[in-house]
Amino acid sequence: MSHVLEIRQLTKKFGDFVAVDNMSLNVREGEIFGFLGANGAGKSTTINMIASLLRVTKGEITLLGKNIEKHSKFAKMNIGIVPQDIAIYEDMTAYENVRFFAGLYGLRGPLLRERTEEALEFVGLGDKATSFPKNFSGGMKRRLNIACAIAHRPKLIIMDEPTVGIDPHSRNYILNSVRKLNDMGCTIIYTSHYMEEVEEICTRIAIVDHGKVIAEGTKEQLKAIITDAKEIWIGVRADEPLNLEALKAIAGVNAVLQEENTIKIVSKTEINNLNQIIQQLIKDQVEIRSVEEQAPNLETVFLTLTGRNLRD
Amino acid sequence: MSEMLWLIRKTLMETFRSKKSWFTYLGLPIAGVLLSLTMYSNAGSGTIHVGIINQDGDQVITQDSIRFIERLNHVEVTVVDEQTMREQIVSGELDSGIVFEPGYAASVREGAPAHLNIVSVKGEQVTAYVKAMLHSYIGNLAAIGKAVQADEAKFTKLYAAYHEQSYKLSTVALQNNSNVARMTNQSIGFLIMFMMFSAVDMSEIILKEKGNRTFLRLLSSPMSARSYVFSNIIVSMFILLLQIIVTLLVMKNVFGIDAGVPYSQMILPLFVFALGAIALSLMTVAFAKSRAGAGAISNLIIVPTCLLAGCFFPMEIMPVTVRNISAFLPQHWLLDTVNKLQQGYSLGSLYLNIAILLAFATVFALIAIYRFGRNNDSRQFV
Repeated sequence: MSHVLEIRQLTKKFGDFVAVDNMSLNVREGEIFGFLGANGAGKSTTINMIASLLRVTKGEITLLGKNIEKHSKFAKMNIGIVPQDIAIYEDMTAYENVRFFAGLYGLRGPLLRERTEEALEFVGLGDKATSFPKNFSGGMKRRLNIACAIAHRPKLIIMDEPTVGIDPHSRNYILNSVRKLNDMGCTIIYTSHYMEEVEEICTRIAIVDHGKVIAEGTKEQLKAIITDAKEIWIGVRADEPLNLEALKAIAGVNAVLQEENTIKIVSKTEINNLNQIIQQLIKDQVEIRSVEEQAPNLETVFLTLTGRNLRD
Repeated sequence: MSEMLWLIRKTLMETFRSKKSWFTYLGLPIAGVLLSLTMYSNAGSGTIHVGIINQDGDQVITQDSIRFIERLNHVEVTVVDEQTMREQIVSGELDSGIVFEPGYAASVREGAPAHLNIVSVKGEQVTAYVKAMLHSYIGNLAAIGKAVQADEAKFTKLYAAYHEQSYKLSTVALQNNSNVARMTNQSIGFLIMFMMFSAVDMSEIILKEKGNRTFLRLLSSPMSARSYVFSNIIVSMFILLLQIIVTLLVMKNVFGIDAGVPYSQMILPLFVFALGAIALSLMTVAFAKSRAGAGAISNLIIVPTCLLAGCFFPMEIMPVTVRNISAFLPQHWLLDTVNKLQQGYSLGSLYLNIAILLAFATVFALIAIYRFGRNNDSRQFV
């Protein structure tokens, strides 16, 4: 399978701060590539460099075999960006928005009209073509945000958290659209804070931390990295964040984090430390409500590798 | 190039779709012309309405004094009673009132004029002219009174001779163009201010795009940052040129203001100034972090500099220091160019003024480019 995107030893520095550190990865044609990382991990900086919005400090990015800095226009023509923030004109209709952005890629006349209508139909806004986005719900705006990125039929679509803050209906619609675009031959880079979305739609995933790719592969390959780990979820009564340092010191515990009333603990499979964990919680006067062991999932992988929650 | 034209088309469409834009770019300069017209059209041509109360009876001196006032240019006299005069002065129908009290004629004849009251609620501005003329007239009569030393027969003789003297005057009417010139200058002054505000408004589109994140999408398309800024400049140039042409057309054809110079000659200096206004607005945008910040900076720059450069008031009334400072402002050089054109200078001979305006535009543009160039982060734009 040929590579649509190749990143070689990519580095981006802002002064002394290294945002992306010697990163290398490939995105293959026809895949939905998940790009996972907590806030500040270097995802957006990498995406901005792929989209030619930021200059590369060191390294190389090639799109369809061509260096994007040397062939900036070619790269831009073949990439569609769905930015994390909704980037549309509120005082232009949905149709005018899509038409304008598609026109920037050189489409004109009947072809422009056809592609505009097609993109709006694709995201389910065909009947809202003459409406102004200021009257749209958050989900509809997100869908329009996608339509503006796909009307010129790019080879590579980069979707930066396209489902943030929307209702489940729009979220499902967007996820289905991603699959449909993929079926139509588009390669997609997908970033999200929702691990279950990534697990559901991505064919391959890279986990980024501190500007580096720390793991890359299919869901199964990533889960296989932590066959020696299990995840224990302990339901507790917690009105405020608990001091979990004592739990981290228990033998076999790799990572601990609290999500509201649940303490998530990643621990080595071969070490039976559940009694010690519970005793420590009792000692800390934490009210335990439930205990369950989870099969390793992407979240376990992420937590084990980065020690952080994806939403951190 | 094609994407630049596409963006220009979209920006113009978006701009002229908004009623606010029509008002800001075309309505306000026309309102400025209207304001200048109101300020200067009445100057020097108004009629003063004077009410007169005669409590001194049929005395010849009193009657002659009243006739003297009636004969004054731009003065309309109404003989009224005290109550009516009070009411009409308060209501503004009369500008001032003159009361000839009993004994007025006798006091003049004795050489010590008294028993004359001039009243007004509008102050010296209105009464000064009538007062000056009347005092001069009464002063002459009092001088006769003093000279004859209470000899009534002599007074009557001299008074009759004074009234009978005649002068042969030949008059040539000269057109006073100073008002029209001032009106034109003030209209241009307002146009300058609105051009500067319009330029800032147009450049703020960059900050608006930055705020609603559309600029990231634009820059991820085949459009370069340079093309994006350049298309914004072209739109601003188009709108400011339109503003100049519409304002001059309205001045000439709607308000009938004769600037004393062909309007077509004013377009070039105004357009060169517009380039400076656009460069200044880009400089403002380059330094501002938000639209509110850009608005505040531009308000701080535009209004005071327009004031100092004489956009709102004639420079003659400004202190010498202010006049010297104004030489460092582009507005001054534009107003100076218009002034000199009105004085009969040819446009070609004013190349130094045009060069100075171009120099201002270049300096502002270079500062803006330098500032934009130092932004490493795409989110800080360009």
